[in-house]
Amino acid sequence: MTDENTTPEGTYEHRAAGLNRRRFLTAAGAGAAATSLSGCLGGVGGGGDDTVHIGAVFLLSGIAEVLGSASEASARVGADAVNEAGGILDMDVEMTFLDHEGDADRASRNFQSLVQEEDADALIGLTSSGVTLGSASTAEELGVPYTLTDIGTPYVTEHDYDTYGNFYEEDEGYAAGIDNLFRLNANTSINTYGMAKFATEELDGVQRVANLGPDYAYGQQCWDYFKAYADGLGADFEYVASEFPSLGAGDMTPQINSVMDADPDLVFTSFWGGDTTTFVQQAAEQGLFDQVEDVFDTIGAAPGNFESLGDTIPRGIHFSGWYWHSAFDNEANSEYLRRYRETYQDDDTVIGIPSFTGASTYSSVWMYKQAMEQAGSTDFDDVISEMEGMTFEDDPRGSVTLDADSHQANAPTVIGEISDSDDVPYDGPGMDPTTTYTLDRETALDLLEGSGLPPGV
Amino acid sequence: MSYGVRDRLAGTGREAVVLAAVGALALLLAPFLVGPTQTRLLITIILFAVFSTAFNLLYGYTGLLSFGHAMFVAGAGYVAAKVFRGLGTSPAVESTFGGTSVLAAFLIALVAGVLAAILLGVTIGYLCVQREEIYFALLTLSFSMAIWAIVQQDISGQLGRYIGAGSLLDTGGSDGLPISFRLLGDVDLFGLQFTLVDINNYYAYYFIVLLISAGAMYALWRIVRSPFGEACKAIRENPERAEALGIDRTYHSWMAFIISGAFSGLVGVLFVPLRGGALPNLAHWSFSAFPVIMTVIGGPFAFLGPAAGALVFEYVRELISQVPMLEERWQLVFGLILLGVVIYFDNGVVGGLRRLRARYTDRGAAEADAAEDTPRTDVQPDSDTERPEDD
Repeated sequence: MTDENTTPEGTYEHRAAGLNRRRFLTAAGAGAAATSLSGCLGGVGGGGDDTVHIGAVFLLSGIAEVLGSASEASARVGADAVNEAGGILDMDVEMTFLDHEGDADRASRNFQSLVQEEDADALIGLTSSGVTLGSASTAEELGVPYTLTDIGTPYVTEHDYDTYGNFYEEDEGYAAGIDNLFRLNANTSINTYGMAKFATEELDGVQRVANLGPDYAYGQQCWDYFKAYADGLGADFEYVASEFPSLGAGDMTPQINSVMDADPDLVFTSFWGGDTTTFVQQAAEQGLFDQVEDVFDTIGAAPGNFESLGDTIPRGIHFSGWYWHSAFDNEANSEYLRRYRETYQDDDTVIGIPSFTGASTYSSVWMYKQAMEQAGSTDFDDVISEMEGMTFEDDPRGSVTLDADSHQANAPTVIGEISDSDDVPYDGPGMDPTTTYTLDRETALDLLEGSGLPPGV
Repeated sequence: MSYGVRDRLAGTGREAVVLAAVGALALLLAPFLVGPTQTRLLITIILFAVFSTAFNLLYGYTGLLSFGHAMFVAGAGYVAAKVFRGLGTSPAVESTFGGTSVLAAFLIALVAGVLAAILLGVTIGYLCVQREEIYFALLTLSFSMAIWAIVQQDISGQLGRYIGAGSLLDTGGSDGLPISFRLLGDVDLFGLQFTLVDINNYYAYYFIVLLISAGAMYALWRIVRSPFGEACKAIRENPERAEALGIDRTYHSWMAFIISGAFSGLVGVLFVPLRGGALPNLAHWSFSAFPVIMTVIGGPFAFLGPAAGALVFEYVRELISQVPMLEERWQLVFGLILLGVVIYFDNGVVGGLRRLRARYTDRGAAEADAAEDTPRTDVQPDSDTERPEDD
């Protein structure tokens, strides 16, 4: 991926393209630059006169860099497509990509820099639930339309503060929904519901279930939600073991051994990125896949994972994700895949099909186009009220609606069987056949009753 | 110090007053000249300046390298976040303090946070100061990483439930304790109305931080100039000789540890409203590395060295972030800068500036070292006047 990429359709900036004199001059305290003063006024609308500026904040360095870069790749394709379709309000879309470095403080500073100094009209992001929750208060104060494309935690789209408590104010509060935040990917609640339903309805002879997941909030939440949904669905599972290797662990063999000792039929995992490959390689070496009926993973279904695992990953087990290229047979998906392929055909560093965050990041730019044009302006409040309850017909995952109350999209989770029959542009397996699941609040409330977990949809 | 003491002091005084006046004026005007994002950066720099200076009481003045000072920031920060969450929504606080309830919660958080840091200093410090040099550094690192694990895995929360304290000791695990800016909202102090933390201008919070930090820097300055500070330097120079002179090395190191920790804790509390909560990375060893790097960059043997290091560190980081090619490898770029400072500068940026000035002024030559608290091993007293030629 290039640092700076200017296309006929528009200009992209990766970490504020070129030497951003404007920001540097203010940083050096060289007088009251006009841009800073406009930042003081803050608040409403923004952008240059002739562009709509969307700030994108992802994790673009460190161990999970591959995730953020995949989102960036699809956001670029989305912006290109929107610009080809006339831009937004007849203005070109300009995107700035910034790295949050896995740090909530850095994410907050990025938000402020984008909105207060660079007059961003809208934001998309991020690549970590912890960073999202830790920086949401800043995003809330900025009041800018803000769409999550890659985030699992259900808390951030839960607005029922009375029932679940305020996450930002109470020790046992789980509701962290804020007015200007929307989410386009299926969250952990939807994801684990799909997996619990699949396990209950599609797998025979599963009784004993064990868990392996990364040792932080995401891993723990996935397991809690999976159990709650499975119980709610009437599955009579026995939960025989649960292990949490540390995030980015090089050696998971003790935890894999411990899970194997419990003799499970199904192993539920919530690894992603590098942890997925570490787990599959070490589990294969230890014979886990021969011993159990099936192994699940929440968001491991990424082309990059399958390419690096190649023959190591056993065929027939079931992985999930928020999108899979062959799971959706519609025109918008074909168009998205064609654009993606063409954009990156000469780039060896990008696999020719999008990752699991692809559809949500691609659509985020389209959603802003629709909302801003319906609002007739980029005014923050007007755009936000357009987005509440808005349906976007041409999402690669089919028609997608942003719930008016929770601000969560009714986005599907995809579950597929690891297989060689899928047509993928790399050496390694894909997924076939695939099933998708969506979830509404009423069903979620019903199934989660008594668990204390917020539905987040 | 021998000949021309009076001249040197007078000279230093005059220049120092001018410099201090310019610095103070710049700090007072800054938030009105730059936007909120840059004001936020300035607050960060001020806080890191105090943090690094507090750290340097132990490192530059007492000769003890702590690699775990994040524990004080996190310890105090988490306590402060708990106080904001607990008191911010409490009707009792609202009814007692009315319009000043936000300010009351802030002051309670400040006191509670600093007390927590002092408690950490007293207990952990007592154990750490029993050893010196690398063993001391490793002990501080170990304790701080233990605290990181406790907050990251919410071990204290589990313990709290076990002993019947409910959610009192909850740390929120990897999600930490983010706080809503509503809890840091409107204050009505005798008719003076302001928002404690307003991310669209930061005026109130900037001046609160500036005031508290100025007080903290003055207190630290008085401490290093006091007999206690002299005893610290004696320990740094020659622990055995200091003991022979009747200085209780362990006790003095312990006290320096506690004082250093208390001021670091103060910074931890002030970071919480700025960062919108306390997250586990406040406790991580990489956060302990900031004051170490800033102090080395700025110069550990000058009182304002660490503060200069904080300023240079944050602005160089900001500058790097403007250049995409450098930004992608910012750790490498920073590493090279640090390498250059360590190899070519005697005492960080401050030492470098003084040497530079010494080249062009006669008086500067003598001042360069006289104004620094440079250890004997580093600069021989007799070489003071020869330094310009040496360069």
